[in-house]
Amino acid sequence: MALHGLCKTFGAKRAVDNLHLEVRAGCIFGMVGPNGAGKTTTLSMATGLLRPDAGTAQVLGHDVWTDPAAAKALMGVLPDGLRLFDRLSGGELLHYVGLLRRVPPADIEHRSAELLEALGLTEDLDTLVVEYSAGMTKKIGLACALIHAPRLLILDEPFEAVDPVSGQGIRSILRSYARGGGTVVLSSHVMELVESLCDDLAVVAEGRVLVSGTVESVRAGSTLQKRFLDLVGFTAADEEGLAWLHSSSPSS
Amino acid sequence: MVALIVSLKLTLLKNSLKRSVWRTVGLIVGMLYALGLVIAALIGLLALRLAPAELTADVTVLVFSLLTAGWLLMSLLVFGVDETVDPAKFALLPVRARDLLPGLFVSGLIGSPGVATVLVAAGLVVSWSRGLGMTAAALLAFPIGVATCFLLARVGTTALSSFLSSRRFRDSAVVLLVLLGAAIGIGANLVGSAARPGSLELRQVLAGGAAIAGWTPFGWVWAIPADISRGQWLQAGLRLVLALGLVTVLWVIWGYLLDKRLTEPVEGGDASKKVNKVSVGTNASLVERLYPATPAGAVAGRSLRYWRRDPRYLAGMAAVLIAPVIVVVSQVANPDGSSAVAAFAPVLLGSLVGISVAQDLSYDGTALWLHVASGTRGADDRAGRVMSTLTIFGPVLVILVVVSMVLTGLWQLVVPVVALTIALTLIGAGVGSFVGAIWQWPAPPPGANPFQKGSNGGLPSLLSFSAAALGTMILALPTIVLAIASFWVGWLSYLCLVVGVISGLVVLKLGIDYGGRLLDRRWPEAMLSVSERTG
Repeated sequence: MALHGLCKTFGAKRAVDNLHLEVRAGCIFGMVGPNGAGKTTTLSMATGLLRPDAGTAQVLGHDVWTDPAAAKALMGVLPDGLRLFDRLSGGELLHYVGLLRRVPPADIEHRSAELLEALGLTEDLDTLVVEYSAGMTKKIGLACALIHAPRLLILDEPFEAVDPVSGQGIRSILRSYARGGGTVVLSSHVMELVESLCDDLAVVAEGRVLVSGTVESVRAGSTLQKRFLDLVGFTAADEEGLAWLHSSSPSS
Repeated sequence: MVALIVSLKLTLLKNSLKRSVWRTVGLIVGMLYALGLVIAALIGLLALRLAPAELTADVTVLVFSLLTAGWLLMSLLVFGVDETVDPAKFALLPVRARDLLPGLFVSGLIGSPGVATVLVAAGLVVSWSRGLGMTAAALLAFPIGVATCFLLARVGTTALSSFLSSRRFRDSAVVLLVLLGAAIGIGANLVGSAARPGSLELRQVLAGGAAIAGWTPFGWVWAIPADISRGQWLQAGLRLVLALGLVTVLWVIWGYLLDKRLTEPVEGGDASKKVNKVSVGTNASLVERLYPATPAGAVAGRSLRYWRRDPRYLAGMAAVLIAPVIVVVSQVANPDGSSAVAAFAPVLLGSLVGISVAQDLSYDGTALWLHVASGTRGADDRAGRVMSTLTIFGPVLVILVVVSMVLTGLWQLVVPVVALTIALTLIGAGVGSFVGAIWQWPAPPPGANPFQKGSNGGLPSLLSFSAAALGTMILALPTIVLAIASFWVGWLSYLCLVVGVISGLVVLKLGIDYGGRLLDRRWPEAMLSVSERTG
């Protein structure tokens, strides 16, 4: 995946500002950054959900905005903060996505069964997605992104609200997917996770890439957490601040 | 607390207007419309001040009763309730319903319908300013009446929406809604047709209507000044007690419903949300066998499931069914009515199909990302939605045609009726496919109160609605002309059938193709307009 000179402005706010990013094929790529850094906006533009003001997004040689059909067929997407067709049951939703992606019905059947098994959702096959917990919703979303065997996975906050057991399941799915030649781009807030799972990463803040490269090169001997805080310019809060929080008084 | 909630409402309103020019335009159009109605009503009420007391009594009782019933009915069927200040958002705060109620009441009245009602109700005081007793009674009726209007709408929509989201009562709630709408429509129609003959009889009908209306819950409060003007103090007292009782009961019910929402803010806590295994076994295979295993077929199947599971579609279905039911029943029940009009009732339903197709995309909300990200072709999306809509409306139309024919006995009209119905349904579906690709708006999500519209929708939904209806009519014109001509030249009805079917199929094909192509170009824009943060 290659992003060049992406820009997006919402009103007066520059959400993404001339962003360049290249992800090599076959690696797990982490995107980290503080809230409001433009991660979701960038991923939306890379997946064809949001039209960029300027710049290009390419997926395995296909431009997302001039040749959308070819690019979208290669991508599996898990967006953050968007609804699913949640009046369908998990099984029906997966079947629906499979048909939209033109997967042969016989393949949909066995792939669904395997995906639901791997993600621990088999028992909730017939429950409406609207009844799922946040973590289960993430997992069914991931299953939907995988059903058509894409070459590139773009996952926005895939581990958010997912329990540690399922998280481990997702990690092993992603690792074996990358070993098989697939590429994963994911965003996350959890440094430890990115450090242990990803091969390469980029730190994004205020709509720009501050640094990108292999995990080793970015953390440069320190921990990723410390490097990240240095990069985004964090200053430790005054310990004396918020003193009124220390004893809760019933009156306030 | 009242001031706090009211200022919250004003801030929310201000911010939503700042965000979108469309909403500002929509609000101004709505306000101008309401202003026109209010001025007309106030002039009328002022004129009634000079009319004889008996006439003033009858007119005000009847008109204000209709206004009150209109609040309930319009909220249920057309406008929804304004939930800019969503009570569920208070669930985490340490407040009780009774602290919130007064604030929510006042803030709910801020908006075109509320302000208009307050102004018109204030006009009632002018009409009755003919003596101390009558003025006092009108002054008393004014706030109670406004409260009745508002509380009826709130309680009615909340109660019915919880029915609609519970599986067991869902179908009966739709039927109830249709019957309620039809009953009021038919009543108005009968009164109207009875009034036709002459002013003396009109006067009698008016008096009769007012007498009946004055004893319905909608009219209790408005009849108090009229009673005083006749010197019937005892009757006025009785109605006052009834009106106050009604407001109190509604207030308590509203408080109870609100308390429930504060403790379980997530709506539709329905026990049987699990699709049961048997129904999936049969249902799933049925839906999947019904449509081909293609993207378009998938969209159709998904959409058909939503028609069953999503209260918003059910509420829409009820609203669409009311008009033809009213036409059939009132024309057949009315001895002077023309049964030919009733025979053409299915045509009315057919013409509403386009509007339904046009709004389907917006109902998906941000779940639409799936279609965008998977590169679903616009034409597949369009075709799928048309297939499911026709699957739902097709059988209903057939039943309606048969019923209207059997009831009227006008079998000689069956060819033009069928021709018009087919033409309007297919053309409507085609026009709706195209119009739906142009305008989208953020609709309330499926779990929300289907009657909640608030500041959502606005101008795009209005444009979509008008364009779909108007476009359908214009394109169906050849068929309509032929159908009318066939009254005189019988064989033209067969030509009408041919033209209707062919023009319907052509428009449907073109609508799906061009709508699909348009959608292919503007998927991201469609995505943006269904998201709440749209600019």
